[in-house]
Amino acid sequence: MATAEPAADPAPAAGASRHRGGGLGRYLLVRFLLIFPTVLILVTVVFVLMRSTGDPITAALGGRLGPEQLKERIHAAGYDKPILVQYWHYVSGIAHGDFGTTITDHRPVTQVLTTFGSATLELAVYALVVAFLIGIPLGRIAAARRDKGPDAVLRVSAILAYATPVFFAGMVLKLVFAVWLNVLPVAGRATTRSILTMKTQGAGTGIYLIDAISTGDPAVVGDVLQHAVLPAVALGLLTAGVFLRLVRTNVIGTLQTGYVEAARSRGVSERRLLRTHAWRPALVPIITVIGLQVAMLLGGAVLTETTFEWKGLGFQLVQYLLARDFVAVQGMVALLAVIVAVTNFVVDVIAALVDPRIRY
Amino acid sequence: MASATTRRRVWAITAGLAATTLLLAACSSGKSGANATTGSTGGSSTALTIGTTDKITTIDPAGEYDNGSFAVINQVFPFLMNTPYGSPDVKPDIAQSASFTSPTEYTVKLKPNLKFANGDPLTATSVKFSFDRVLKINDQNGPSSLLFNLDSTEVKDPTTVVFHLKSPNDQTFPQVLSSPAGPIVDEKVFSPTALTPDADIVKANAFAGPYVITSYTLNELISYKANPDYQGIYGAPKTANVNVQYYADSSNLKLDVQQGNIDVAFRSLSATDVDSLRSDSKVQVVDGPGGEIRYIVFNFDTQPYGAKTPQADPAKALAVRQAVADVVDRKAIADQVYKGTYTPLYSYVAQGLTGATESLKGLYGDGKGGPDKDKATKALSDAGVTTPVTLNLQYTPAHYGPSSADEYALVKDQLESSGLFKVNLQSTEWQQYSKDRTSDVYPEYQLGWFPDYSDADNYLTPFFLQGGFLKNHYDNPTVDQLIQQQATTTDASARTALIQKIQDTVAQDLSTVPLLQGAQVAVVGKNVQGAKDTLDASFKFRYGALSKS
Repeated sequence: MATAEPAADPAPAAGASRHRGGGLGRYLLVRFLLIFPTVLILVTVVFVLMRSTGDPITAALGGRLGPEQLKERIHAAGYDKPILVQYWHYVSGIAHGDFGTTITDHRPVTQVLTTFGSATLELAVYALVVAFLIGIPLGRIAAARRDKGPDAVLRVSAILAYATPVFFAGMVLKLVFAVWLNVLPVAGRATTRSILTMKTQGAGTGIYLIDAISTGDPAVVGDVLQHAVLPAVALGLLTAGVFLRLVRTNVIGTLQTGYVEAARSRGVSERRLLRTHAWRPALVPIITVIGLQVAMLLGGAVLTETTFEWKGLGFQLVQYLLARDFVAVQGMVALLAVIVAVTNFVVDVIAALVDPRIRY
Repeated sequence: MASATTRRRVWAITAGLAATTLLLAACSSGKSGANATTGSTGGSSTALTIGTTDKITTIDPAGEYDNGSFAVINQVFPFLMNTPYGSPDVKPDIAQSASFTSPTEYTVKLKPNLKFANGDPLTATSVKFSFDRVLKINDQNGPSSLLFNLDSTEVKDPTTVVFHLKSPNDQTFPQVLSSPAGPIVDEKVFSPTALTPDADIVKANAFAGPYVITSYTLNELISYKANPDYQGIYGAPKTANVNVQYYADSSNLKLDVQQGNIDVAFRSLSATDVDSLRSDSKVQVVDGPGGEIRYIVFNFDTQPYGAKTPQADPAKALAVRQAVADVVDRKAIADQVYKGTYTPLYSYVAQGLTGATESLKGLYGDGKGGPDKDKATKALSDAGVTTPVTLNLQYTPAHYGPSSADEYALVKDQLESSGLFKVNLQSTEWQQYSKDRTSDVYPEYQLGWFPDYSDADNYLTPFFLQGGFLKNHYDNPTVDQLIQQQATTTDASARTALIQKIQDTVAQDLSTVPLLQGAQVAVVGKNVQGAKDTLDASFKFRYGALSKS
């Protein structure tokens, strides 16, 4: 059954102004300023939630030290201070660009981000590539075969793709390709040998594909790519489903517009109509969706990275959560919130510039 | 708008890149993980790859008190005293000699011409520096509490150091020197007042243990190379190059060792995984004694008939504890829940350690380690206890592994099947559990212990000495006196007899009911040797014992 998904705002009537609520500058300024309360609210929520789960010292040493010794160490670390005092101390630190040092492994949070961010970025790019390669062409096919067998199959597949939990998809892929067929690696970003080769001969970017290419060893490049296949597909399928349905809906919508009907009446073939007239306009909304997908990918990355031992930000965030490392979790969430907020701001800017239907 | 030619070029480049990528992926063997070779400095030139789910906190000895960090530290830092293969008792490692020179003075003489891998001399000054900084830094995650009896450290000459102790004749002190508080570090590299970052330690090559670290990525991959300057108890490692790969998920660890991507999997595969690997022809499962113990604690104030209950009656309270000890079937728990990765425990000191007995075996149950319902019934009826006795038994769901729920479900079943008990089983998350157990909230509850060092005292003093960490209101002056006596008895056999006597005495009182002792389990490739040698009662996994043919 075809779903009637709402399209973007209808095009303004002829002669109507785009600038109903003020100019582009004001629109962008408001969007930019919204980043700060968004991040602050998120950081505050995480701060309160983390404090409600207990302290890291008890988590680590509760079974080894007596209550007095535990109390002494908790006091020394300042975890017995009033929560407002701790909160003020933390927010003041952030205001000065100090996200703190992790409790469990004594690393500056900013260093954690730079160390693991490259892995997450690499995975996100792979996943987007998978999403584009699968979602967009299949969306186009579904639109071209509207309400026929292929369309029905693709729509159901799309729903399955974004309704299936990432970790479940990951486990199924791992079971099939790594365990039963044994054609792809179980986990990790590369084999020990490749990692050591990259460490000694690579560019040292932390993005393994670049590092692997810089070694000049095809086996290392192949190894890195092999390790990327399953996590990229597991995470990419999530977004591919969204892209498929979005492209399909937009192409169908565009095929029903007046200018396409006019072209059709002039005898232009359906294939040409799809390729030349309906295809590009249908891709515009994807720009907006990419912004939303960044947050989705980061969320999915937590599960994908954990499933595949892909040691990026998501993987590390889980480790810190399990250890109740306040500082690490708060810092990472704050930085991830900044990334998502800034990405959405950039998408808003691009969308405002390229989509004539957006009103300020 | 791009021209048609430009579009064609873009497509051609894209297609070319995609084809190259696929070709490279296809060409890759993808199976080189366990076969990396690097330059050799002795031993086998083929690198050995070990996988583990342990995590590292820091490789600065002043900041670690966990298995994962200590596993690294054991390979790269020297100790004054250490446990030789196959023995739980300590011997001089980089020390030439070590002994009490007065009741409160423990004097250690170093071997001559010791040095760190970076060329810095390792002298008595390094030793003093190492112990002083652990106490000074007093890190929240560190081992400083193990040095509670160390008053000061004195340098007599470049190779002689004297430890001044607060309590005389502390027989556990040599063991403390082999514990997480005991590694010797380079004073030219380490900060005296703060933890030194791992990267700085690695960069400075400030190691003097059997291995040095050549490549270090925290909780991801560490590469070790044999240290030719090591003069300690273990000698030259059998394998010159070792890589350790860190996993978060034990199922990935299992699959990798099964598929030969790693040579050794050590800590921590699930009981089910170990059980399935036992029948896998591609690997061998090697078992050894483990130091970890699991037990049920009774709160003497709040247990049924406890001192602070309305029906307080010490004789009835003891009968309840005895009946639990009679009814519980340890072997069934070890086999059914842990598939042999834990073994039944019938005393308070882990089997394999000097002085360990099986005091509970003859006292309770059928006298051979099995349960005996009739004996439990008699114990309760002799004391005048009305049955069924209600027990509010607590456990924590994850801290002691994912099988705790199964373990305690089986304990509940065993107790209730006897008809003598009605068990209300409750679980509480670890953070709250840690607070509740010492606040008299739980009448009887689960607990586990992993030793700081391989000495029986470590299973007695923290538990049964007044003011210990259990806080279960157990108080037996005789036991207190015996514990203090054994800790200062210099004659080894006399001390062993005291340790045995303590276990026999506590077994009568049943402050706790020991259930299980964890085995050490390593899963290795068929071509790997030496795992059995290091899986001993030292509870230290020493990579130098391993080799690959």
